[in-house]
Amino acid sequence: MSPIQIIQKSEATRKHYSSVFAIACLVICSLVVVVLVTLLASVVTSGGGWLSWTLLTGVHHEDQPEMSGIRQALTGSLFVCAICGLAALPVGVGTAIFLEEFKPKHRVLRWFHGLVDLNITNLAGVPSIVYGILGLTAFVYMFGIVPPIEANRPASIEFGAQYYYQAKTLGGKWINFPASDRFQTIYHFKEPISATMATGEDVQLNILSKSADSPEAPAIRDRTVFEGNSASIFRRNDWWHVHLPFSKSILSAGLTLALVILPIVIIASQEAIRAVPGSLREAAFGMGANRWQVVRSAVIPSAIPGIMTGAILSMSRAIGEAAPVLAVMGGVLGTTSGLTGLMDKAPVLPVTIFRWSGDENAGFEHLSAAAIIVLLIVLVAMNSLAIIIRNRFEKKQQGV
Amino acid sequence: MAMVLQPERMEMEQQIKSSAESTSAESTSPIVVEGAAAPETAVSIKSFSAFYGDFQAICEVDLDIAAKTVTSLIGPSGCGKSTFLKWINRMNDMVAGAWATGSIQLNDLQVLDRQTDVVALRRRIGMVFQKPNPFPKSIFDNVAYGPRLHFRISKSELADLVQSSLQKAALWDEVKDRLNRSALGLSGGQQQRLCIARAIAIGPQILLMDEPCSALDPASTSRVEDLIYELREQYAIVIVTHNMHQAARCSDRTAFFFEGKIVEEGETDQVFTKPLKKQTEDYVTGKFG
Repeated sequence: MSPIQIIQKSEATRKHYSSVFAIACLVICSLVVVVLVTLLASVVTSGGGWLSWTLLTGVHHEDQPEMSGIRQALTGSLFVCAICGLAALPVGVGTAIFLEEFKPKHRVLRWFHGLVDLNITNLAGVPSIVYGILGLTAFVYMFGIVPPIEANRPASIEFGAQYYYQAKTLGGKWINFPASDRFQTIYHFKEPISATMATGEDVQLNILSKSADSPEAPAIRDRTVFEGNSASIFRRNDWWHVHLPFSKSILSAGLTLALVILPIVIIASQEAIRAVPGSLREAAFGMGANRWQVVRSAVIPSAIPGIMTGAILSMSRAIGEAAPVLAVMGGVLGTTSGLTGLMDKAPVLPVTIFRWSGDENAGFEHLSAAAIIVLLIVLVAMNSLAIIIRNRFEKKQQGV
Repeated sequence: MAMVLQPERMEMEQQIKSSAESTSAESTSPIVVEGAAAPETAVSIKSFSAFYGDFQAICEVDLDIAAKTVTSLIGPSGCGKSTFLKWINRMNDMVAGAWATGSIQLNDLQVLDRQTDVVALRRRIGMVFQKPNPFPKSIFDNVAYGPRLHFRISKSELADLVQSSLQKAALWDEVKDRLNRSALGLSGGQQQRLCIARAIAIGPQILLMDEPCSALDPASTSRVEDLIYELREQYAIVIVTHNMHQAARCSDRTAFFFEGKIVEEGETDQVFTKPLKKQTEDYVTGKFG
């Protein structure tokens, strides 16, 4: 048998290939950087000059970009994001704990468990506008199960609202008193009732029959009405006033965004829980802890930095989403009364940017670029916070 | 959740009381003679077999683990000694497909019984693992972990219990000034002694140790070995080890496992110097394994 002849590859060719590959990577990488820098540069040149105090404190004025600002959009984004976080985090972390720590043993349940696990991974890739449509049916209209909200009519199911009738007395003073039936919009005075003056003073109302003479003394006229005169209904809302369906409100928007980020929160939390070393679980089980105690005392404390990082990153996704908010709340640019409760509409930053950038007035295009800068700053701040939290926890756990 | 746990805890306390009564009754009973030749049995294992799915890891093993002695389990890798150890406090429950037959009797408790409460079982059988695994909490909280799980206990009592446990584990002098620092700042040997302190804080009868020194340097190993030797005055200790010198140094009795069976079990001196079986002799003299 002839010996195998070994031919050495040329050292120079190998080096050559290596350097070609390195250069290719460098080019691709710098392409990404160039795109990013161009984007930032165009935004800054367009909107940099429009960054002003008015931008932060003003509200939207039609056709007056130099007076307009994003105060309402900032607070709107803040509250929508808060609702989104309050809804998504407990559900997401709970689901992750269930999926990772309470794996069922039974065959059918295990199959179901695997199905849920797989679907969550898939849900993370669903476009956010799809969630917007889902939010529209689920929260805004509640699948049509609950009667829809009609103008000038109280919602059939609501909490946190008090109804009053108000009327003017003979003396021209406004009085009000609680309404017994919120669906009856007009009240006709029949018998004496107690009412509250605009000053907050409680008074007993005199009811005069139509034929009687009106009294002369102003103190009496202030608390007297004619029989049959009408009082009209009005509503006072607590901030947590909620009615079903939620209609187009920040609550609907927040919950819809919660749907958008839920898969991300679950996956991030699952990763964090999976990264907890098995030896910690063993230690807790070995001490006689039951499953819940193991989760609470060993798993969650170790996984919390990862969970929080994932939570903040998903919140920064939520704060930048325009499509689902547009679908659920419409393209609101501002409200006259501002944000008073959960059932109000409010503008959010991405929707404001979207509306302004399409405005015929060129000034609004610059203003939207300025708003983009603000949004980017908010996002960078949130992501930095996530990194800081992770590092802090890691240091603390290393025992430094 | 706390509300739900209350009855469980009360049960636990009753068990603690009753077990304390029973042990005190045993210690005062005239049957137990100081220095008697036949030691009291802590755990009695009869025709025990363990499986992973279809694979039989342990085959028909009988072993009596004596109280207040150190029993070491030696044998080559994969001989089933760790599996055996983990079945004694049912740590294998978590392993998918693991099952066992036979009987493991701890006082009045049938360990393998489906109805047996593993929480109560593990309160009586502590475990120390191969790699030190303290919780990422303070040193104090690590030792207080078990008592907080199982006992309703005042703060001062807890502090006393933590101190005495750390003293028993020969760690108190090293950590008394930094009880509130993270346990992860300790050295490997200290961490392992902390794990031992954590295990004895709930007053178990038996300590299971799964190669407790294999991740430690020689100096730390010898400290842990000294500790094991001291602790045998109060607990029945079962130690799995690959290190035959360690078995010879710190155990009273030795069981040699081979291919899922106990080949030989007896006084450590006898097993190492005058083994009855050829296989044992080959193993302890280093011809295989």
